[in-house]
Amino acid sequence: MAEVEETLKRIQSQKGVQGIIIVNSEGIPVKTTLDNSSTVHYAGLIHQLVMKARSTVRDIDPQNDLTFLRVRSKKNEIMIAPDKDYFLIVIQNPSD
Amino acid sequence: QSTFTSPMRITTSSQSGAGRGGLPGGQGDRVLDDDGSDVTPQPLSQADPSGAHQAKGDRFFVEDITGGSASEQATAAGSFTMPFSRYMCIFANNVLNQSNIRLSKHQPYDRHEHMKRDTVEEEVTEEMLKEVIDVYISETDSVSLLDIPSTVMSVDTDESEAIIERNRQYAEVCRNRMGNDKYMERSMQTLSGAAKDKHVQSDAVVMVNTATSASTWDIYDALCSPVPQKTNYPEATQSMICIISLSLSPATAVSSLKEVDVFGSTSGAESDLQLIMQSETFQNCLLVMEKSILGNTFQPDLAAYRQLPVLEDPDFPVRQRKEETESGGPPALQRLWAFNCELNRGRSVRSMAWNKKNTDLLAVGYGENDSGDLTPGLVCCWSLKNPTWPERVLHCDSAVTSLDFSANNPSRLAVGMLNGNIAIYDVQGREQNSHVVSSSECLKKHLGPVWQLRYNQQGLIAVFVCRIMIQMIKNKAYCYHVTIQTSCASSVTDVMKLKRIHNTKKKARGNNTEKTGSVLTAMTPGLCFDFYPTDPSVYLVGTQEGLIHSCSSSNNQHFLDTFRKHFCAVNCVAWCPLSPDVFLSCSSDWTIQLWKLDQLNPVLGFTSIQRAVCDIKWSPKWATIFGAVNEGQLEIWDLNSSFLDPVAVQPAAPGVTMKSLLFTSRADCVLVGDSDGQVTVYRLKNLRVGESSQVRL
Repeated sequence: MAEVEETLKRIQSQKGVQGIIIVNSEGIPVKTTLDNSSTVHYAGLIHQLVMKARSTVRDIDPQNDLTFLRVRSKKNEIMIAPDKDYFLIVIQNPSD
Repeated sequence: QSTFTSPMRITTSSQSGAGRGGLPGGQGDRVLDDDGSDVTPQPLSQADPSGAHQAKGDRFFVEDITGGSASEQATAAGSFTMPFSRYMCIFANNVLNQSNIRLSKHQPYDRHEHMKRDTVEEEVTEEMLKEVIDVYISETDSVSLLDIPSTVMSVDTDESEAIIERNRQYAEVCRNRMGNDKYMERSMQTLSGAAKDKHVQSDAVVMVNTATSASTWDIYDALCSPVPQKTNYPEATQSMICIISLSLSPATAVSSLKEVDVFGSTSGAESDLQLIMQSETFQNCLLVMEKSILGNTFQPDLAAYRQLPVLEDPDFPVRQRKEETESGGPPALQRLWAFNCELNRGRSVRSMAWNKKNTDLLAVGYGENDSGDLTPGLVCCWSLKNPTWPERVLHCDSAVTSLDFSANNPSRLAVGMLNGNIAIYDVQGREQNSHVVSSSECLKKHLGPVWQLRYNQQGLIAVFVCRIMIQMIKNKAYCYHVTIQTSCASSVTDVMKLKRIHNTKKKARGNNTEKTGSVLTAMTPGLCFDFYPTDPSVYLVGTQEGLIHSCSSSNNQHFLDTFRKHFCAVNCVAWCPLSPDVFLSCSSDWTIQLWKLDQLNPVLGFTSIQRAVCDIKWSPKWATIFGAVNEGQLEIWDLNSSFLDPVAVQPAAPGVTMKSLLFTSRADCVLVGDSDGQVTVYRLKNLRVGESSQVRL
């Protein structure tokens, strides 16, 4: 448990990381480093995106599953690690 | 209840003929017992006595019955048959009433008065009860309620012949009917009876809408997984409505196994967080995420490491353009990144080794820190994907002096320490300090530091240990050639073979035969060794006195050869992996010597600056390139281009001395460990390397 906290702190202190959000399986953010409104915004939108992505991957091959999703945009990169119990969302701006 | 077995006298006053009901009690009839008690059967309906004064035939009839039988017994007896009797009486009344109305309408009042008189008389004279009264029983007329004559008759009866004849005639008529002019079809209209409305009401049927989209993976999940939980339908209506109103929840994309409950309570979220944080998949997920983030950060460096073209970010102008000089320019060293974290700050890097199987994994052993005190040693396993935090951290008892990965079990790491202990760790598991074997409990343990450790092909470790000359009594220094058989089950190694090689002091004539068993022979500790690439039983040993011996493991009494040139401790010897019989040695006397196996004098010598050379390694890809680390700088020598100067020099950071060196097998990069605990990765650029592996001297 302490290791997990430590890893989270390390991630938070990496270069360019803007925020970390952990969302539970129902789409409710349980831990975040951003402000509340952004968190809820991100959580809601990303939940749908991950569902769609996962559905796409599994439709093509039902034995396959989504393991990681990266969305690179002009200003930053959103990395999402989905699981059946939670999502981990990290927003990074790599050129900071 | 009274039964009808006792003789009874029934006075009947049957006034009207037909239409009298089949009831034993007609109008004004009374049944009396032997004792004179009235056992008149009660009427089936108990009409209201208060309504007796109405001048209606039906009412009057009922009234007579009740008025006449005012006995206790009758009322008591009829207590539970009353509802039934009432029903029956009503039915009977309908039949009787009509007849009564028809027949006895004209005498309503007389009856009443008559009955009244009877009752009055009854009450007055009690002696009449004791009289013997004759009861005459006679049958009333039968009333047929339903008469359906039968359509079958026995053949034996008299009328049967007539019936048979009639049947035959009828059958003939039927047969003749077809096409006969006598008969004509005619339609009739039948009256349809009046319809009766009937209403039925029931509870409303609750309807629930459910929908799901069955995608390919949904069907697959339902096939493969255990029985899904049933959703609660009565509550589903509530949540369904809520789901539709909130656009967030994916109502149709959710698999049928999941229940979507949008209203998560705050206490649920808190416990969810705990569960998530403790799950192992979350930990792995965090590590993967960290590596991705660092991959973004270090992407140019890692791409350069892997010799990939650096991708341009289209949104940000490239800052690396000035470094893109592939052709032209002198050979140079480009610093890529450094493995560094707070754990190893200040500790000097003593030894580094690549994993044999996963060439992205690096084990670094840290020794004592700058102040020289013997802090417990540290081994960190670094991965290229994460230069900011090691994958595994192993704490050792004392400062680490050497380490090596096994080739047969790629997850085994052997660590030799300053206090003479050897420990073998398994780096695959996540639990810390899971050392498989440790020689600390071994009986014949060595007291000197383990200067070098190497796995050879048979999977055994050849350990080179030097015993520091601490025991002046014995005045001996042993060079142990120890082979340790590792066994997984036991935690203590048995030192299987302990070969002691006596090292003689250097004689002036270069005679290298030693004297066994000589007590006074001074021994010198060996500092480094290397196996011959093609024949692993031959190895070179470099000693502290500057001698280099080639020995064979089959002969532990004699050296094969002795190479003398250095006059200080030999820090490292290295066979050239691509060129046979050539090896290099470096020593603290500021020189590097190049030898051939059959010549006892060095072929070439190199010096650059006047510092002790700590480490030397051949490049695994190019036969003529080797790297050397002395305390002040990193030097890359190319035998093809120059014997006098290194082709590339990288000075150390101020205040930091470089300690160890490692080439990478696939890439053209060099790792340098320094006394501050950093392991820096440099890339060799613009080395114009010839194809030949032979160097003309």
